[in-house]
Amino acid sequence: MNDSFLMAILVSALFYGTPLLFAALGEVLTERSGVLNLGVEGMMLMGAVVGSVVSARLGGPSWFVLGVAILAAMLVGALTALLHAFATITLRVEQTVSGLALTILAGAAGLSSYLANVWQLRDPVPHQFTRIDVLGLAGLPVVGPLLFHQTFLTYLSWVLVAVGSWYLFRTRAGLNLRAVGESPSTADAMGLNVVRTRYVHTLAGGALAGIGGICFSLSIVPTWQDGMTAGRGWIALALVIFGFWRPVWVMLGAYLFGALASLSLTLQAQGIDIAPEILDSIPYVMTIVVLVAVSAGWSSRRLSAPDALGTAFEREAR
Amino acid sequence: MIRLEPRLLRPKWLSVAVPVGSIVVALVLGAILITVSGNSALDTYGRILDVAFGSVQSWSDTIVAATPLLLTGLAAAAAFKMGLFNIGGQGQFVMGAIAASGVGLALPDVTGFVSIPLMIAAGMLAGGLWAAIPGFFKTRFGTNEVITTLMLNYVAANVAGYLIFGSMSFWRLTTGSGQVFPQGRPLSDEAVWPAFGGGGLEIPLGFILGCMAAACLWALYRYTRFGFEIGVVSDSPEAARYAGINVPRTGLAVMTLSGALAGLGGASDIGDIRHVLDPKGLGQTGYGYTGIVVAALARWNPLAVIPLSILLGALANAGRALQGATFPAGLVGTLQGLLLFCAVSGEFLTRYRVRVGHKRPLSAAELEAQAA
Amino acid sequence: MATAETGAGAPVPGGRPSNAADASGPASARAGGVPAVSMRGVTKRFVGVVANDHVDLEVAPGEVHALLGENGAGKSTLSNVLTGLYRPDEGTIRLFGQEVSFSSPRDAIAAGVAMVHQHFRLVTKFTVAENFLLGSGGAYDAKTAAQRIRELGEEYGLPVDPDANVWELSVGEQQRVEILKALDRRARILILDEPTAVLTPQEADALFATMRRMADDGRSVIFISHKLQEVMKVSDRVTTLRDGKTVGTVVTAETTSAELARQMVGRSVVFSADDTADRPEVDPDRVVLDVRGLSAEGVRPQSSPKGVDLQVHAGEIVAICGVSGNGQRELAAAIYGIRRRTAGTVAIDGVQSRQKGPRESTALGLAFIPEDRLRTGLSPSLPIHANLALKGYRRPPLSRGPFLDGRAIRARAEELVRRYGIKTPSIDTPTRVLSGGNVQKVLLAREIGSDPHILIASTPTRGLDVGAIETVRHLLMDAARAGTGVLLITEDLDEAMALAHRIVVMFEGRVVGEFPRGHYDIERIGLLMGGHTGDREGAA
Repeated sequence: MNDSFLMAILVSALFYGTPLLFAALGEVLTERSGVLNLGVEGMMLMGAVVGSVVSARLGGPSWFVLGVAILAAMLVGALTALLHAFATITLRVEQTVSGLALTILAGAAGLSSYLANVWQLRDPVPHQFTRIDVLGLAGLPVVGPLLFHQTFLTYLSWVLVAVGSWYLFRTRAGLNLRAVGESPSTADAMGLNVVRTRYVHTLAGGALAGIGGICFSLSIVPTWQDGMTAGRGWIALALVIFGFWRPVWVMLGAYLFGALASLSLTLQAQGIDIAPEILDSIPYVMTIVVLVAVSAGWSSRRLSAPDALGTAFEREAR
Repeated sequence: MIRLEPRLLRPKWLSVAVPVGSIVVALVLGAILITVSGNSALDTYGRILDVAFGSVQSWSDTIVAATPLLLTGLAAAAAFKMGLFNIGGQGQFVMGAIAASGVGLALPDVTGFVSIPLMIAAGMLAGGLWAAIPGFFKTRFGTNEVITTLMLNYVAANVAGYLIFGSMSFWRLTTGSGQVFPQGRPLSDEAVWPAFGGGGLEIPLGFILGCMAAACLWALYRYTRFGFEIGVVSDSPEAARYAGINVPRTGLAVMTLSGALAGLGGASDIGDIRHVLDPKGLGQTGYGYTGIVVAALARWNPLAVIPLSILLGALANAGRALQGATFPAGLVGTLQGLLLFCAVSGEFLTRYRVRVGHKRPLSAAELEAQAA
Repeated sequence: MATAETGAGAPVPGGRPSNAADASGPASARAGGVPAVSMRGVTKRFVGVVANDHVDLEVAPGEVHALLGENGAGKSTLSNVLTGLYRPDEGTIRLFGQEVSFSSPRDAIAAGVAMVHQHFRLVTKFTVAENFLLGSGGAYDAKTAAQRIRELGEEYGLPVDPDANVWELSVGEQQRVEILKALDRRARILILDEPTAVLTPQEADALFATMRRMADDGRSVIFISHKLQEVMKVSDRVTTLRDGKTVGTVVTAETTSAELARQMVGRSVVFSADDTADRPEVDPDRVVLDVRGLSAEGVRPQSSPKGVDLQVHAGEIVAICGVSGNGQRELAAAIYGIRRRTAGTVAIDGVQSRQKGPRESTALGLAFIPEDRLRTGLSPSLPIHANLALKGYRRPPLSRGPFLDGRAIRARAEELVRRYGIKTPSIDTPTRVLSGGNVQKVLLAREIGSDPHILIASTPTRGLDVGAIETVRHLLMDAARAGTGVLLITEDLDEAMALAHRIVVMFEGRVVGEFPRGHYDIERIGLLMGGHTGDREGAA
């Protein structure tokens, strides 16, 4: 093993970890409000397909097209999440089933694929996110490629991690959000609007998952393929648990899982042959271990899932 | 003012009207989508009907497509009815397929009367054990089964992938084309499951087993002490404990049963349909997830799973046969998703009454007076 | 000083002073006469129940005012009206002379009324400071919040670590957080709902000191309680409620525990005289429940049974009286086998129970009506016939081998519905749809219908209307007449005295007194329930 090998791993960790980071950050916001949305994969694919079509059809300078693509992906991701929000918050449908319905509806063999067909997305998209050489520092050893030679999306994700952490733990809105996710009845008694909080953060989660989607369609796999996110939506769900519902830890987890995604190729190049299936299983197994550890009380309670996660809120009848 | 009011009594007619209504609403929404994207909805639905049910051959194809959905649907129904969210039907299906093909491959020359029952048993055992893992965590530590079963789907897919692509395992074909393209070893003719029927209609063994399983499951929930206990545990664990029912053991048993049904589906996939362990093919189908759609539409009733698996099987069959310019890929999944959304949202109407106006909800006593 | 119409210290046999809140006496004088709270003729009806019937309450600024009454006397309803949770059907509320009408708890908070509920409104996973900030105005500033918590804590003797997680705090500390929150929001009127129910005696004493300090600040503290000793200790005045009506308001210094006990329990019914009724015959030679030295873990230390000895004979009704949370519930659960015993033995009709749980107890002939009848005793969404089979489904005739006998289950259900007069559209009706009385009848039908040796009934009439209470009491008497021993756990002294052959008083997990029929002494029983232990032996 040498430095260039390690660099290769780190660079690909960031590259493959970025979409996971967006989707997982979004899901952190959603789950912090007490809503479990299993439809991440579907929302990502909806964002991806809309990003693709904007890039393919919209005229203008690249920065403009890509900017519109991000906004469109966020909008569509949020609209997809709205289905889940309406079903689970207003109609009090079981969150698990509704999220699953969302993935089936929008997922690899669903609406995203249908739209790609209708819009005839076949060729590589003309506008893609490329690496930016920030301040000409990309050539620096080690930190250059890692910190100063990333796509706009990666920089955006870093901003979001910082903003997300600050929002969750340093603002009143974040405190209210966490209260709603922990104990909606207490939040209600304190005069907070539980329903609105849950709607807002479920939609925000969808919007971020939409950006996660265009990481694929406009950066990683610039030619449309049905189901191009390849199950990363589920990994993002795992990541939320793995990162204990905290943006910074989720970021570390995203890069860890991102590194694992490409590790077998990198290892093969080094002449080390480990079946990719084994490496691919690691995130899932690790997530199960973490989840069991948390529920068995082997870790601090402050790290456990929001207490009201997955439960509908109904004001006590009086 | 519109208010929602929990229903104390759920009228019988709603339990029929709601699924039928949700199918209709889903089809209408689908039609709108098809029309907006520039195709004729009537024409599309007409062709689906024709391909799915138009001839004896299409009935056979539809039933073949329905077989895995029947079994994963039963798996979901068994668990969800008790409030256990086993999303892991897919993984249990795959583990069942691995175990059944392993047994089938190990007994190439033994008569099917011996090897096929052993394949069935192996598939059910593997699926059951795979589901027992999250079941154990759930009942022992209270670990959320939604995420653990989901994660194990991917682990199972990777296990299957490893056996065929990542290693020179017993399951992998190492001769002929297998040296060029990694693939599974096919079953011997003895271990291939028989189909029944006549006049061109072919019903796979798996479908018949599924119907029997549906009947057994229905009877189990309805006519046995165990089913009675499941009903109490799912309604009120406190009451179950008070009545001396072992709540964790009941949960673990139901999880295992659910996994065994999905595992049987995997065994049937090997014995009836593919005859070979095909990780990619298994991954693409998503039978485990579609099974949940089936079970939700059936409102977790095992007997209703049979016709609804045929319905969704027909849709899948048509999707495969019709794929092309005027029948975009993705339509089938979209329709399935719409069906599931409508079904679970419609469920809302059975739980709540939507009232317009300021009227005060009826009290229990008043309802009693009304009922009397 | 006048104590309304009752006159100082004089007992009021059978009398119910109608309007006692005219005692605007001593404390309000301190603040120049305008009462902080003045509720007049407040009436609140629920379906079939009048929870508050023209209740009057007047609280002066700077006063600790106790609201005394048994469970169901209407104390909680009254405080919920005052905090905006319920709207009164009749009556007026004035705060500092100004008439108010609250449409939500937020209005009440804005007007300076705060309540510390028995169930804390805290997010357990948050720190104290975070909880403090939740729902308060202003910017998010944990440091200032922590500072404020320390300051207020020091001022009122309520020390809490602002950075501690709430789930790590003792119940007493959590209560302090709730009080601090109220103080921070400048509550002028603070209602404490049974605040000592969850406290250790030391914590309770600290709380009393805090209450006094808050009153000295000019705030009004309303102290809801049914513990006489505490009321005597901490309050300036006491308003007693009974059956939703005001009994009277007295100055604490001018009354006695005994008088308050009489007011709270009521003297309208004289029990010792009705011995002529055909009371179930006790078989003194047959002990159907023999509990010796039983200890078990409690929800709290005070509620863990400690070395309880108890015998019930065939045909005998023994009532366990005590304020809720003194170990009665745990005792019942431990006898039945859903709570682990840490010491002692239980024998049912002479057979030792081997602590194997409900199945064994049921097989030995122990029937149990739990406190939470609809969720623990019954499976609420299941049909009535299933609930009637909940204990018997494992054995013939209701099942054969692994299979249920649906016909037998239905036949048995039809029979029990008829025999016990359960009013229901059909035996297929989900049980939760029934009224409280009918729900209890389903439970009683199943438990008594199994012809048990011993029946434990935990607060079987709580929350029922008068007619249903009568029916349930009759069913218990009938069971005893048929030779079943009945262990009745109740907080209602009237009920105990009307039904029981013997009354056993429990306090903090111990049996502190025992009274055979004919020697019932309300005053003494009330004092013992309130923790005036004194000498251990009863009037016997």
